[in-house]
Formats: sequence, C-alpha cells, structure tokens
Amino acid sequence: MIDWGLVAKVAGAGFGVTMLVLTLLSVIVWLVGLVTRESESQGEEKK
Amino acid sequence: MFGLYESAFGALTWGNIVMLLIGGFLMYLGIARKMEPLLLVPIGFGVLLINLPLGGLMEVGADGEPIGLLAWVFRGGITTELIPAFIFLGLGAMTDFGPLIANPKTLILGAGAQFGVFFALIIALLVGRAFPDFLDIGIKQAAAIGIIGGADGPTAIFTATELAPKLVGVIAVSAYTYMALVPIILPPVIRLLTTKEERAIYMKPQLRKVSKREKLLFPIVGAAVIILLVPRSAPLIGMFMFGNLLAVSGVTERLADTAANAFMNILTILLGLSIGAFMSAESFLQGESLVILGLGIIAFATSAAAGILLAKLMNLFLKEKINPMIGAAGLSAVPMASRVVQVMGLKANRRNYLLMHAMGPNIAGVIGTATVAGVFLGILG
Repeated sequence: MIDWGLVAKVAGAGFGVTMLVLTLLSVIVWLVGLVTRESESQGEEKK
Repeated sequence: MFGLYESAFGALTWGNIVMLLIGGFLMYLGIARKMEPLLLVPIGFGVLLINLPLGGLMEVGADGEPIGLLAWVFRGGITTELIPAFIFLGLGAMTDFGPLIANPKTLILGAGAQFGVFFALIIALLVGRAFPDFLDIGIKQAAAIGIIGGADGPTAIFTATELAPKLVGVIAVSAYTYMALVPIILPPVIRLLTTKEERAIYMKPQLRKVSKREKLLFPIVGAAVIILLVPRSAPLIGMFMFGNLLAVSGVTERLADTAANAFMNILTILLGLSIGAFMSAESFLQGESLVILGLGIIAFATSAAAGILLAKLMNLFLKEKINPMIGAAGLSAVPMASRVVQVMGLKANRRNYLLMHAMGPNIAGVIGTATVAGVFLGILG
C-alpha cells in the first residue's frame, strides 16, 4: 500500500524545496557578483 | 587441491559465471571503450574478485564484524558514508564555479533537471506496487532509485547507503554505467524536445570575467545557504564547497592538489573495488536489479528532458535567449553532458561554442542532486 501523502511530501515538496534552494542561491550569487563588481570598480576609480 | 585444501571450482555457480561475464563487460567498457574507466575498471575487477568463490573478501563474522579485506573497506568507507563524502571534497577541488557564477540563472536549470529524480521515484513505487511479490520497493528504496537520475555516482551511493543499503551495488553500477552512456542517452532526448532552430540558438562564447573575490565567496556563501536550508546535505555540500575553497583560496595549493589528485585517486580505487565487491551473484542477480537498471534510464532521460523544457520556459521571459540544449546538461555527469551539448551545438550552428554555457547547469546539477539527497535524508532518513 502506497502512502500517497508521504509520496506527495517527498516528491512534491522535495522538488519544490530543491527549486527554492537553488533559485535563492542564484539570486544571492547574482547579488554578490553585483556588489563585488561595484566595489571593485570603485576601488579602481580611487586608484 | 591435491587433497590439501578446497579449490574454488566446485563452489562456482551459474550465478557466479554470469557475474564474471558482467564484471568482464564492465572492464571492457572501461578499458576498450574508455567509458568512465576510473570507476568501471575497479568496479569490474571487484565483481570478478567477489564472484570467484571462497576468497572470503567480503566475509563477515557471526557478530556482523567484517573479516574479509573488502568487507573492511566497505564497512569503513561505504557504510559510514566516508568515501562518497570525501569524493565530493576532491570534486570540489577540481571544479571551477566560474561559469556558474558568471551566469547564476543556470543554477535554476540544475534544479529543474532534478525533476527526473522525483519522477523516477513515483514510477519506482508504481512498479513496486504492480509486482509486490517480485519487488520490495517502498518509499525509501524508490527515493534511492530515483536519485540515479541525478547522474551523480557518489550522491547515489551516499543516499542508497542510508535509505536502501541492500541496493547500493546495483544503484551505483546503474548510476555509473548511465553516466558513461550520456553521449548515447542525451542526443535523442535533445532531438526529441528541440527544433533545429532552437538547437542553433547562438550564445556569445565569452562569459563575463569572474573575479577572485566572487570565486572565494561562492563556496562559503553556497555552503551556508544550502546547509541552513537543507541540513542533511551537509556532508556532500560541505565537502564539495570546502574542496573548492581549498582550490580558490590561493593559499592552500598543496591541500587542493592532494584533494584533487592523490586523495581522490585513493578514494576512487577503494570506492570502485568495494562497490564491485558488493555485487555477488546472490545479491545482484535478482529481479530488482533489472528493474532498477530500467528505472535508472527513465530517471536519466526525464532529468535531461526536464532541464531542456525548463530552459525553453525560461526563454519565454528572457531578452537574450539561451540555447535550450544547455538545460540537458543539468544532469550532473560533469563534464560529459556539457561536451555532448557542445558537439550538438556545433552541429546545429558552426558559430556556437556552448561548452562553458553548459558547464553552469552541469555544475549546478551536482549541487542540485546533493540538495535532493539532503531533502530525501531529511524526510526519510
């Protein structure tokens, strides 16, 4: 007997969590890149 | 033998002979066809060793303590999950996150390509339900089978060791065999789901330059974010990011070199031999093994398909279109999947050099599969 509630939790929520985590990470990486490039270009301008 | 001791001939079964042929085939694939040779050769030789009877390499005492040489390796390296986790350390030291940092949206493609894992999980459960007398597939076994679709051997072993220890051998062989077969599996899936025009979509060959500071921050920030959200992914993600930090920090070259070369090679030998040694005739020649091999290919193909479809979906919203083939590289099989995309991209458009674009989702696939493993272990472990 398959516990479809558990399957929904593992498969549905599992895929959702994976998408969420990696999407969040992509936003953070993008933001870090933005800030880093900004600070580096400001540093070069000061030089 | 000459009345002095028992030779192994009398103990040889038909099952052993079939397994010896399988071991020989795996070594053939590795040596003659150069398919994942670093793993298929040790696995094949491990299969050979364990199916020559009376060698006692995987012998375990009545108290469950290992006696045989490879039983010790299996207990110490696989059952404890040390080897798969430390292989991630080596992988991290060998990985350049540059393409992923330059184009962070490829992380989403890596996540989307995990769909096949969950799809195969459901199919595995349904197959298990259809043949309850023949197969023993509950949710834990189905999850361990599904993770084959991530196309990441160490993660598949890591997950199976905890969720379905009896299936570790067949799951590992299935994952590594299909990883070796990526050049055969991916092209038909890509051709089925993309038009010629889509395959010819041009992407500028040069990605933006990624600074050292960005490369340095990625493993630290990445580990913190993923482990905070999915704590059970810590052994894999933690080691992966630590290995990468060793490589990019610029001050630990010796450690990075050891992690990426000597240490990685030792682990690969131990992993391959002990996985092969787990494939005795009694444990491998079961109906379940064939079913798992079949489900593995479904998981692989679905993962690649999901990556392509997600890339096509993203194209609806992106100003600068991406070539949907790079979504198929969301499979973790690094760098094989990227190479396939590169070759197909060149065929469709001679100006297209997609290798670095495909490396982004490819590496994201490794992170994605490790995250899925953490989710599975968090819910089911």
